[in-house]
Amino acid sequence: MIERHRAKRKETWRSIVLTALTAVLALCCIFPFLFMISSSFKPLGQMFEYPFRLIPSRPILGNYEQLFLNGQLFPRWYVNTLVMACLTLVIKTAVICLTAYAFAKLEFKGKNVIFLVFLSSLMVPGDVTLVQRYIVYKHLHLTNTMWALILPASVDMYFVFMMRQFFMGIPQALTESAIIDGCSHLKIFQKIMIPLAKPAILTMVLFSFVWQWNDYTNPYIFITDTSRQMLSVGLTMFQISQVNNYAVQMAGATLALLPIILIYLFLQKYFIEGIATSGMKG
Amino acid sequence: MISLASDLVSGNAIKTKKKKLAGFRLQEQRLGYLFILPFAVGFLIFHATPALISFVISVTNMRFLSNTADLKFIGLQNFIEMFRDQEVMAALGRSFLYSALYVPIIVLLGLLMAVLINCRIYARGILRTSLFMPYISNMVAIAIIWSVILDYKDGPVNQLLRALGCENPPLWLMGEHTALPTIVLIAAWQGVGLYMVTYLAALQNVPKELYEAATLDGAGAFKRFVHITVPLISPTTFFLIITAIIGSFQNFGIIQVLTKGGPGEASTTMAISVYKASFEQYRMGYATAQAMVLFAIILVFTVIQWKGQRKWVTYD
Repeated sequence: MIERHRAKRKETWRSIVLTALTAVLALCCIFPFLFMISSSFKPLGQMFEYPFRLIPSRPILGNYEQLFLNGQLFPRWYVNTLVMACLTLVIKTAVICLTAYAFAKLEFKGKNVIFLVFLSSLMVPGDVTLVQRYIVYKHLHLTNTMWALILPASVDMYFVFMMRQFFMGIPQALTESAIIDGCSHLKIFQKIMIPLAKPAILTMVLFSFVWQWNDYTNPYIFITDTSRQMLSVGLTMFQISQVNNYAVQMAGATLALLPIILIYLFLQKYFIEGIATSGMKG
Repeated sequence: MISLASDLVSGNAIKTKKKKLAGFRLQEQRLGYLFILPFAVGFLIFHATPALISFVISVTNMRFLSNTADLKFIGLQNFIEMFRDQEVMAALGRSFLYSALYVPIIVLLGLLMAVLINCRIYARGILRTSLFMPYISNMVAIAIIWSVILDYKDGPVNQLLRALGCENPPLWLMGEHTALPTIVLIAAWQGVGLYMVTYLAALQNVPKELYEAATLDGAGAFKRFVHITVPLISPTTFFLIITAIIGSFQNFGIIQVLTKGGPGEASTTMAISVYKASFEQYRMGYATAQAMVLFAIILVFTVIQWKGQRKWVTYD
């Protein structure tokens, strides 16, 4: 009896120590965000006060107001990014689902060869083809438009692979009985496949939104007009033009992170399970 | 008798079923091509063309786009020049240094976090959410925050170090020797969530009976970890190490946003060098040749990963 009690107490202590250790790591992960939010409500003068104060003594909104003053492009970048990310989601979901369904459930000549050729696109990382892509996009008059960001992102073999695995898991019997009942392939796709694939589609949509929203390299290279720029790159320009005002930058960074963090907090199950089940790319 | 009749009926049913399915096969051919058409067009334009023209551009003296009049075929000259160019070779060295720092940090930290989260701890949900948070965050926002936190003069980190009696705290992103390691730390901090979650899934797949049996045999926690956990999650470790290597060579975004390759050339890696050659010096041919060398390095590890995956990971 006493032995058991002692063992249980030892177990509890172990849990407490391990929790404390994890909490330290977790704090390292979220402290920068807390610092950002806290600083965005402080006047510049108080930002570097020592010791650091999480809750500002007198919170102000001035930093946020400055982002929306006349002539500031911040709201413009915000809308650009939102429109670009949403358009990407619509086009990408359609393109990927059609392609993945064809590879999973339809028989056509050369299917496997075509699949392998498409798969080769995963071997060429984006950083390696920046110059070449710039040249191609320039000739197609895509540079300096948001289509240079939307269209390439919609041709993502990674998600074709993931969705194909998903469609392949749907039993053939289900399709065949629908064929007997007189359904066309288009109808099967619409009425059976898409509804069944909803969780997988949601994972794809979430990750794609976050990637597009956060993307820095592509808009940096392919968009040249400041007014057509996206939020990520806009923030860096802001950093240069507001060289000393860190507090305003923090307000901008907070607003840039806000939608992503909200989506993540409410739908984190889909992020984490999406990675765990499919081995998401980095 | 009855069974014979029912056989006949079902035989007919099978015939009509086969007919219907055969009609469908024909429709399927056309539909299959139709469904993959948008992707195929996009693949040709956005993946195949840029990849294929690399071979052409890298053997020319191509300057900026508009200037195609004196475009010349110069053979392997770009490649030869590159290996004599000390700046490019230094950048290549920095890329390897970046990789050598990044890979062990992110893999070990990911494992540590996963093991902790997998232990019997309190508030697991909140802690896991916090640990994963940097992964989904905007790189530029993160860069701004960290440049402020690590600000040499006023940043909270150096303030703390000074308060603790450190007279010459590090210059972090501004220091010639500290810039690259600091970028690696920030990059690992941001990316580690992915490694944690992947490891977590692997840890949860280790059969509990193995641990129980080992405990009965008197193995302590450390022994169980070394002799059961480590070998059983080794496919995941392999996968993650290669993923980390491949990712570590693609560091353009994070470096450009944090230091633009500076101070001086201190954090100019191969990816930054390609950018500088093309978009600052407008030497497209030379830049493409450099990009191809970077690609060749990444390709080696990609092939290793695919080969290993076939061996270790089963898709069913």
